Amino acid sequence: MERSSPTPKSRASEIPIYEIPGGIHPEEHKLRSSQPEIKRLPLASEFIINLKGQAGNRSLPIVEVGDTVLKGQVIAECDGIFSAYQHAPTSGEVVAIEKRTIAHPSGLDDLCIVIKADGEDRWCELTPTHSLDDMDREAVLAQIFEKGVVGLGGASFPSHIKLKQHEGIHTLIINAAECEPYITCDDKLMQEHAKEVLLGAEIISKLYQDIDIVIGIEDNKPQAIDAIQQAREALKLSNIKLGVVPTKYPSGGEKQLIQLLTGKEVPHGKLPADLGLVMHNVGTCYAIQQALNEGKPLVERLVTLTGDSCNTPGNYWVPFGTPVNHLVQATKSETPKRLIMGGPMMGYQLPSADVGIVKATNCIIMAADGELGLDQTALPCIRCGACMDACPASLLPQQLFWHAQADEFDKAEEYDLFDCIECGACAYVCPSHIPLVQHYRYAKSTIRNKRVEKIKAEKARERYEARQERLERVKREKAERHRKAAEARKKAAQEAGKKDEKKAAVQAALARVQAKKKAQQAEGSDNSEPSSDKDNSDKNNSEGNN
Amino acid sequence: MALLSSPFAKKTNSVTQMMLWVVAATLPGLFVLMYFFGIGVLVNLIIACSTALFAEALILKLRNRPVLPILWDGSAFVTAWLLALALPPLLPWWMTVLGTAFAIVFAKHVYGGLGNNIFNPAMVGYVLLLISFPLEMTTWLPPQSLAENPVGVVDAISIILSGSASDEATVNMLKQGVDGYTMATPLDHIKTELAQGYRIPEAEASPIINGLSGVGWQWVNLAFLAGGLLLMFKKIIGWQIPIALLLGMGVISLPLFFVNSDHYLFPMFHGFAGATMLGAFFIATDPVTASTTIKGRWIFGLGIGIITVLIRTFGGYPDAIAFAVLLMNMAVPMIDYYTKPRTYGHNKRPTKDSKATRGGSDAQ
Repeated sequence: MERSSPTPKSRASEIPIYEIPGGIHPEEHKLRSSQPEIKRLPLASEFIINLKGQAGNRSLPIVEVGDTVLKGQVIAECDGIFSAYQHAPTSGEVVAIEKRTIAHPSGLDDLCIVIKADGEDRWCELTPTHSLDDMDREAVLAQIFEKGVVGLGGASFPSHIKLKQHEGIHTLIINAAECEPYITCDDKLMQEHAKEVLLGAEIISKLYQDIDIVIGIEDNKPQAIDAIQQAREALKLSNIKLGVVPTKYPSGGEKQLIQLLTGKEVPHGKLPADLGLVMHNVGTCYAIQQALNEGKPLVERLVTLTGDSCNTPGNYWVPFGTPVNHLVQATKSETPKRLIMGGPMMGYQLPSADVGIVKATNCIIMAADGELGLDQTALPCIRCGACMDACPASLLPQQLFWHAQADEFDKAEEYDLFDCIECGACAYVCPSHIPLVQHYRYAKSTIRNKRVEKIKAEKARERYEARQERLERVKREKAERHRKAAEARKKAAQEAGKKDEKKAAVQAALARVQAKKKAQQAEGSDNSEPSSDKDNSDKNNSEGNN
Repeated sequence: MALLSSPFAKKTNSVTQMMLWVVAATLPGLFVLMYFFGIGVLVNLIIACSTALFAEALILKLRNRPVLPILWDGSAFVTAWLLALALPPLLPWWMTVLGTAFAIVFAKHVYGGLGNNIFNPAMVGYVLLLISFPLEMTTWLPPQSLAENPVGVVDAISIILSGSASDEATVNMLKQGVDGYTMATPLDHIKTELAQGYRIPEAEASPIINGLSGVGWQWVNLAFLAGGLLLMFKKIIGWQIPIALLLGMGVISLPLFFVNSDHYLFPMFHGFAGATMLGAFFIATDPVTASTTIKGRWIFGLGIGIITVLIRTFGGYPDAIAFAVLLMNMAVPMIDYYTKPRTYGHNKRPTKDSKATRGGSDAQ
């Protein structure tokens, strides 16, 4: 799998950096939000906590309408292991558990817990862990699990699942690349909380043995690099190395960062853990540190609020469930033309400003008119190959598009459609302005639906066949029963018939006896021969009848 | 389409920009052509481009497509532009119109318009004319320095439009060079001489041949090379196809030259004669009809180079870029299929795997 050779040019990198194919250099727009200090906005009056706020299953609410809750109190439990606990982001009263619009491009409704803040923001009782050395692996994992920690890089994959496998892990990679334009929350977190981030990384590394820690960071974050280096010296952590990668989108993709830092590719269908690697985002490290050292559950995160319409761009601690509306108002922003959750490359346009932010929300772009100008007509693909040059997964986006557009899904799969990470680099460079990623998403979802349908159809067929078989069996059994009944009847009839024979014979015999008696009586009275002849013929007749 | 899904950022490039860059990059070549072969080149350009835009607009209308946005993509204009650059300067106007219209209507729109055509439209138009009017298509004006009667602007326009010059000088007179014969290109000249039993050094003694290839032609090729390099550095075209094409010419012409230098041209001559540089940097690089994968581009370019030299050397036509391009266009779907790059995380291409299993089951 090693195919790229290290390039020594990367500035200040403490480990050799390898190359990735493709990649683009979009305008960064990072400066405006990376300059101001991290701040806190006034508390919203209402919090909308989406129970499907993480990858995996919807959490199950354990509060009822009317309950008063304290900040950090568990309000929803996880449903199975692939889910997460959710905690009250502030103190107040649960006013509703109902369907609300959620932060999802579809604009769908989903179950949310709505908390009316009392404005006091009172914490529940926190139980920090003082000595990690006394805790075994399971106990640390349990803490991380119960404090609702999920990956804060954007996918919000429950962290405890990622941390579960511990055999053969030799390197922890901290993803600090933050390659999306506009977003600076990880950058600022490292600048202002480098110690906490490193302590979090240490906690993770304690779950494994003799593990190296590599922080993968883009070279456009010199202040964060300095802050990490200083914190490392202050904390005397010698097992942490900085891997400074060239600024290029999408260096922060999990697979891309692994390739940049190790030169290895995660084999198709495998996980980074199969290469002995585990990757966590800087925000996740911070959250883990807070969960264990402070006992604080994950109730807020750093969110970059930016965009041309945003009047006070910067990074803010935002409690989960805070409505985006409130963020727009609190930053005294003009009414934005579009609201983008996430970065411009992989984020999505919010269907409504009334959605609560979730654990995955790293950025809200309040875009002014024309800022993210996209209303260009798509022209035909001229197969120029710009997309191919930009693709970090070495796919052929032009061929994928060709087949996706023609609904030739099997062909699209043959061109490794499902290896597309939807980074958007292809659509970014396309001179024909084709929304390529949209086509791939369409193809992927259609294929997935078809698979589901196929399974359904298969099951339906099995059910139908089972039913047919059952009906057949019932029919057979019925027929069998009838046959047996008929046989029984016949037998009975025969037996009845035999009885009649006997009866008849008996009667005949009786008749004969009586006839004899009569004859004897008649002989006795007038002794005439002819009458006995007559009796004999009668007897013969009756015998013949029988 | 209003885009609701990511990415929301967009590079400020467009098909129109790419097309304009292509046109701009041909300008040095155009000026050199005009310097050596007169105003006829420009007249051809005007006729071809107007025809193409008209034909494109008409057919878009017929196909119920938005006319202006697609016209604005510049592709029809570029097709006509490149075709006109390849035409002899005094070609009758109706041939230019015919070739261009055929290129747009048949080579492009019959397949579904931009992006769907298999064959390079400009070259389809060129080949149509070449096989229909071989005489006109291979008769070039002599370079002005060698002409017995240099052609004036009025004469050129008059000949193209009406078939005869203003002072009733015949076309053949204007087409004559120093030796009083109707001029052909250096490649044509060499071919004719060889056919008559001369050896290459003897053929090269002609005043039409000098320097790298022929009078004027080496400069034309150098100018197109310069423009092509500009496109390459601006990343409007990939570098693989032109380089592979020139390499392909080299790998076939060099051994031939070493075997018999009396009979086979020096590779450098091939490189700077005829439409080589125009073909390598502007024609073969048409993204729609060229191979789209990196490996495929190499095969595609090499193929064109090799076929060109083979036809020039052993075939019936003096130049062969157009045929070579069309032949390789035909092979593109197959080339693309077998040159898929290895996707991240994959060992081999899945098709190979599936083929292997298919082969296995066949064996059973």
